Amino acid sequence: MVTTANTSQVAAGAEGRRPSAPARGAYEWTLLLVAGLFGIISVWFVGTIIWQSASTFKTQGLYIFTGANWIPGAGTGVPSQYGGRAMIIGTFETSLIAMVIAVVIGTGTSLAINFFLPQKLKTFVATVVELLAAIPSVVYGVWGMLVLAPWFLNTVGPFLSSLPGGTAILGTTVAGKSLLLAGIVLAVMVLPTYVAISREVISSVPHELVEASLSLGATRWQTLWKTVIPTARIGLFGATSLALGRAIGETVAVSLVCGGVVGTSFKPLEPGVSIAGWIATQWGEAVGSDQIGALFALGAILMVVSLAMSIFSRRLVAKQRRAAAVV
Amino acid sequence: MTQQLTPQPEITSSDIRAHLRERAASTVRRRMFTSNVMTVLCWVAIILSAVPLVALLIKLFSKGVPVLLKSGFFTQLPQQPTLFDQTNTGGVSNAIVGTIAVIVYAILASVPLGIIVGIYTAESDSKFAATIRVIASTMVGAPSILMGLFAFGVIVVQLKLGFSILAGSFALSVLMLPVLISSTEIAVRNVPTTLREAGLALGAKPSTTSLRIVLPAATTGIVTGAILAISRAVGETAPILLVIGGAYAVTWKPSDPGSALSVSMYQDVASNYDSLKDQAWGIGLLLVLVIFVLSFAARIWAARKQKVQR
Repeated sequence: MVTTANTSQVAAGAEGRRPSAPARGAYEWTLLLVAGLFGIISVWFVGTIIWQSASTFKTQGLYIFTGANWIPGAGTGVPSQYGGRAMIIGTFETSLIAMVIAVVIGTGTSLAINFFLPQKLKTFVATVVELLAAIPSVVYGVWGMLVLAPWFLNTVGPFLSSLPGGTAILGTTVAGKSLLLAGIVLAVMVLPTYVAISREVISSVPHELVEASLSLGATRWQTLWKTVIPTARIGLFGATSLALGRAIGETVAVSLVCGGVVGTSFKPLEPGVSIAGWIATQWGEAVGSDQIGALFALGAILMVVSLAMSIFSRRLVAKQRRAAAVV
Repeated sequence: MTQQLTPQPEITSSDIRAHLRERAASTVRRRMFTSNVMTVLCWVAIILSAVPLVALLIKLFSKGVPVLLKSGFFTQLPQQPTLFDQTNTGGVSNAIVGTIAVIVYAILASVPLGIIVGIYTAESDSKFAATIRVIASTMVGAPSILMGLFAFGVIVVQLKLGFSILAGSFALSVLMLPVLISSTEIAVRNVPTTLREAGLALGAKPSTTSLRIVLPAATTGIVTGAILAISRAVGETAPILLVIGGAYAVTWKPSDPGSALSVSMYQDVASNYDSLKDQAWGIGLLLVLVIFVLSFAARIWAARKQKVQR
């Protein structure tokens, strides 16, 4: 049985199976062949990205992971330098900021929707949240760039810098666009996704458990914290990993608000870059030069990261579920 | 030891009871305090998550509606504003046609394929089906820009067809495929086993049972999943941005470079002209409206069909 992070898929469960028929007719062959075609496409997909980036991995070696400079040679005779350190760190920093904000606020929101809102409002809010999750990321990016960035430049940035140690840890903002802003825009963007799933997960916690806890004299918060959240933890983890996947791979929203500077300090209030955002920003200039291979190499790194995350979350969910089954 | 012992005051059981009562009361007070604080924080969380999203929607509508009402927004080609005529931005007719073209071609390629693979993974429990299932669910979470890279590698580099609408639809169909596979699989699996067993018990072949009994019962779920996959593809920017070419021409031809709403929005907002930035809000509003209509349609359709079935 394959387990996935998707809760509705989990709910679909192991029902609906039949013992496989020994004889294969035209129908079975069609299904099998088309599925095989999809298998070929997926291999082709991974192969193409690795193939296109192979030359860069060969010439740049480890520099693509650790190097601080991104200098295309572009026919000047000087060898190109393609270092991905700023993009890799920028991606993780923005995603981390986004996830901390989204998970804390999102879990609180889901709890509030499920336990504090009246029944009628609950369904309405759930629908609205699911609609919001469908807003394209470019809209969040444009909003972040045209509305949040100026606000950040004039109000939030100076305030954060003026806190004790603010400049030393957070840096100073120069244009509003920064890694922190990118993280916040990402958080706003993944919140509906996270809340849509975690609300569903939390609402599927059996009501008997909640009532048992309350009848034993636990307070409302004790019930939520010690009964509801532990029961829902597998689903919450699934929601987190889905949201994290979206944050790490997000392209246009980040590229519009992160500042686009290949930096070396990575302070949150200073501009930076992310892997996906940098691919989109550099693409027009890169086509036709060796830089395209370097961007494919960044893409390959992103692919490996997302693959590793997916395998890790699958393993963890399977393990948790086995543990839950034993109990 | 000459120290005189002072008689200890005797501890009565009522003292103990009072003490315990006091301790219990203080624990309850502390717990209730924590509980109330956390309840308030949950309310704060719901407000914190609502405020930015509501602010975003208000801004989108207030900035976007005037753009949508502007004459020529739907029918004119984009104009590059000049220093002397800063408000002349034309329309987005090329992007509207481009988005429709890209989406339609992507649907033609991915929907039949995705549905067939989804049926396969739902009906077979072979090792191969399990592998396909894992691949599909991994690809659902893959960053969308990778589909753009893939489309570039295949259409532009390997097949030498150039930046084109075709390349954009290729990227989108690879993006939609795994989503369609997963949603179809769920829909087929949700058909009660008894229905299938009834078919088999009547002596129908497994393929007949599947085509005549299971699939009709799963149609609602399959169509809903397809509409949601399409609505996700409509707003995608990154994969198309890399391969569509960004042309200022109204064209349906797959081999021509074209544009798309999301790509135009991305390019407009990077411009120095305020009029183009305003235009970006209009495009964003149009995208959001289209997506909301699609999701609503899927929802209402699914709800009505379910009622009919019951």
